[in-house]
Amino acid sequence: MTVALVVGAGEVGTRTARQLVDTPGFSSILLADRDTSRARSVAEALGPSVRAVEYEPGEVIPSDVAVIACALPAGVGHDVVAAAIAAGIPVASSDDEHDALEQLRALDQNARSSGVTVAIGCGLAPGLSDVLAAHAVSLFESVDEIRVARTGWAGPASVDTVRHERRMPVRAWRDGGWREERSRGDALVFFPEPIGGRDCRVVTGATSLLVDAFPSVSRLSVQLGEPPRRTRFRRRFGDEGEWGAARIEVWGQRDGSHGCVAYGVVDRTAIAAGAALAVVSARLAGTLGPVVKQPGVQGLGLLLEPVPFLAELAQRGVRAAVFEGVPVA
Amino acid sequence: MFRRVLLVLGVAGAIGAIARLRGKGELPATEGGWRELDGPEFR
Repeated sequence: MTVALVVGAGEVGTRTARQLVDTPGFSSILLADRDTSRARSVAEALGPSVRAVEYEPGEVIPSDVAVIACALPAGVGHDVVAAAIAAGIPVASSDDEHDALEQLRALDQNARSSGVTVAIGCGLAPGLSDVLAAHAVSLFESVDEIRVARTGWAGPASVDTVRHERRMPVRAWRDGGWREERSRGDALVFFPEPIGGRDCRVVTGATSLLVDAFPSVSRLSVQLGEPPRRTRFRRRFGDEGEWGAARIEVWGQRDGSHGCVAYGVVDRTAIAAGAALAVVSARLAGTLGPVVKQPGVQGLGLLLEPVPFLAELAQRGVRAAVFEGVPVA
Repeated sequence: MFRRVLLVLGVAGAIGAIARLRGKGELPATEGGWRELDGPEFR
């Protein structure tokens, strides 16, 4: 039977462990966090198949681990991924901050030469959004633009990442190349209800994962919504977390005309991210269908077949929707 | 004087609300609804 190591017992890591408990094929889930008492209390709450272990990023991975799910704050997961590659163990990471993603992508050659599959950006957006984009792209004969927008955050570390991304200069993919752009401020993006319209801003974010997956598309962009000012005081113990949403818009040619497909997802951000990270980890370990083995560091748009992944997430309650209507200029 | 201040604040608030609701037109507003992905989309 298979052992999974979940690193990080925060908002996303806790949900990931819970999802893995419900995934057949895993005999035990090891849960590590720098706050060992938190890891222990979460493990106790999740049942006998979850065991808290002491593990620090960069340390050698325990020998019986078959797959690693990394849910750490931005940049901290790099050492975990490097150790996983050295040990030849597949790993999935939920990191979504631009610089951290670039550091992980820099490990691509190591992962390829070691024959290790590394899935990065495994969350709501990036993550599920990349798979939905791949699904939408398959409906077109040619695609000229993909826009991904997200509002929502999985916890305090996620809020910090969003605020950081929104402050940074933007590198956008325009006309098939990277271009530095001045921020044009916020624009209204319509997510499925009950989220509705939210102000979002173009950021660099995980645009590079879209470029990896859809290099022939001339315009790719990522937008992030603005977190509320006082998120730390909004949560109460026992809450299921903040609501979040993603919108994926794909523009291109089909049936002889130019058109758009818009997909959306609404869920508690941490739950959607945890479910995505758990399903990817299970696919890497081969406990949900055939093993996904594609050595290198890649996002989900490049790594996964959309339909089985979306169907599995839908079974777990994370359901996507398609917009049916007409855009109004 | 007080009425003028109130009037100015009211007009400024209304303009701000309209500007915020209209957004900047980056993404088009939409008319329609969302339907859960199901069935044929998953085959």
